[in-house]
Amino acid sequence: MNLHAMEWAENRSQPAIDALVREGRAHSAIYTDPGIFELELKRIFGRSWLFIGHVSEVPAAGDYRMRKMGRASVLLVRGEDGRVRVLMNRCRHRGSQVCESESGNSKMFRCWFHGWTYENTGKLSVVEAPAGYGAGFRREEMGLTPAPRSAEYRGFVFASLAAEGPSLPEFLGHAAPIIDLLVDASPAGEILVDGGTHKTVYQGNWKFIGMDGYHPNVVHASVVAAWKRNAEFGTGVTHREDPFVDEARSLTRDLGNGHVMLDFREQRLHHYEAHQAFLRNTPGGERYIADMRRAYGEARARLLIALSGDPHVGVFPNLQLINNQVRIVNPIAVDKTEVNMIAVRLGGVSDEMNIARLRQHESFYGPAGGGSPDDAEIFERVQRGLLADVDPWVDLSRGMERETLGADGTVVGRITDEVTQRGQLRHWRDLMLRP
Amino acid sequence: MSWETYREVELLLLHEAELADSHRYAAWLALWTRELRYWIPCNGDDADPQRQIAIVYEERPALEERLYRLDSRFAHSQRPPSRLSRVVSNIVYDGYEPERGGAVVSRFVLGEERRERQTAWIGRARHVLVREAGALRIKEKKVWLINNDSPMGNLTFIL
Repeated sequence: MNLHAMEWAENRSQPAIDALVREGRAHSAIYTDPGIFELELKRIFGRSWLFIGHVSEVPAAGDYRMRKMGRASVLLVRGEDGRVRVLMNRCRHRGSQVCESESGNSKMFRCWFHGWTYENTGKLSVVEAPAGYGAGFRREEMGLTPAPRSAEYRGFVFASLAAEGPSLPEFLGHAAPIIDLLVDASPAGEILVDGGTHKTVYQGNWKFIGMDGYHPNVVHASVVAAWKRNAEFGTGVTHREDPFVDEARSLTRDLGNGHVMLDFREQRLHHYEAHQAFLRNTPGGERYIADMRRAYGEARARLLIALSGDPHVGVFPNLQLINNQVRIVNPIAVDKTEVNMIAVRLGGVSDEMNIARLRQHESFYGPAGGGSPDDAEIFERVQRGLLADVDPWVDLSRGMERETLGADGTVVGRITDEVTQRGQLRHWRDLMLRP
Repeated sequence: MSWETYREVELLLLHEAELADSHRYAAWLALWTRELRYWIPCNGDDADPQRQIAIVYEERPALEERLYRLDSRFAHSQRPPSRLSRVVSNIVYDGYEPERGGAVVSRFVLGEERRERQTAWIGRARHVLVREAGALRIKEKKVWLINNDSPMGNLTFIL
């Protein structure tokens, strides 16, 4: 980051930020201005709850994953004591990263600059030549720095770089029961976030990867054409009868706090029988249906089976649960974003069902999938297009006249409506306006 | 083995490379047997496809779907198409017999140009070849990219 950008970010006045977002439109600077990006790292990624990883990624003592909180490298690690922690990947001595592998199992993390060594609980265990430190040096206070706050919901570990702020339950709000829709797709209520990771990158702003029900028939025209040839193929099995038109039973929903979803619940319940027939053709499918009924009762099981573990929810700012994946969004620069798509396996189901879900995932997602690369291609076209900013406004007004407020306080629109974009942006603005 | 045997395999690999580079998918697919597997692992070289996703792990129906999409004019990530040029070399024969076929391992360097960005795709490929009605055909192809555990952009062409 250059100094100019930093000064700009520091001095950016509240009215100036306020002027960038209007109900139903946004100034393209929020996607193209490096100063805004720096401010986002501070005011959004520097204090919001961020998803770090799932406990099933670190099942045994010593298991760790290297993850990011904004630019900060952190470790999700299960210590010898069985506790899962989020620790800064930074030696307390001179700041070198103490872990260089993305994942693994280790009793300790050793800094190879001067040899300081930390237990997998974060505790500092070895200081080379300790006699050089005076009486004021307290080894017990020099462990790896934990994230100021961390908390867990159904195995999803979140952390915040701010010591104070809303609790995790307050932050998740209406999104919590939506996360359940993935976890409870397993009759055991157990997901294994261990199905491998598609690591992708695009040259565009991180906020493009929102939740959009207006684009599929255009951006994914090639996939939609393929589904028309074979409805049982790939992710087509969850998209029976075009769910991406105004008349569809599918909806957009703003859950609050920037969390938004494409709500396919009614649409998929309507096609429950077809999905059940598809499952019955998969070895273990019959047993799965019975186990789900036993675990959750007839009505709830019907919904969970129909949804197929696809909440299609974005938890602001860095987590999405889409189809069979846990997706982490990492902002790299104002015009560069990494997206990691981790495939989920369901506990308590047949291997064949999980394998089928892995193959469904591959058909659409990842660097060679039928869907993700076309999304990324369009995001890059947007990033280039926004630079022509004679008229700098991006229109997000679709469905403003017909959205409704649900009884639970969530905002609801048709599937093609920009309820989701407006919901994310409203929260973005709230966070960015707070000094 | 005779030099004609080596040359036959080499010409097949070079022909395959030429068809892939020029996006001639129907002709490329015609080099394969009815039953096939096209496999590009991710997260390292050894991930088990029964437990983990791959970048591509396809048998004929999924591969045909892929080629159908690429030819559909709506695969935006190949509009415009990537310009490709690859070199295939370092061919090693692994239990290969001219009458039956067998495994052949090679290395490749593939240059891609798209939207004023050049990308080098580098790796190793293992072909399982079989002889069918006199002709040598591809039954399996597994490609190990050296960057298969790093974030990557658009890999929507054929490796």
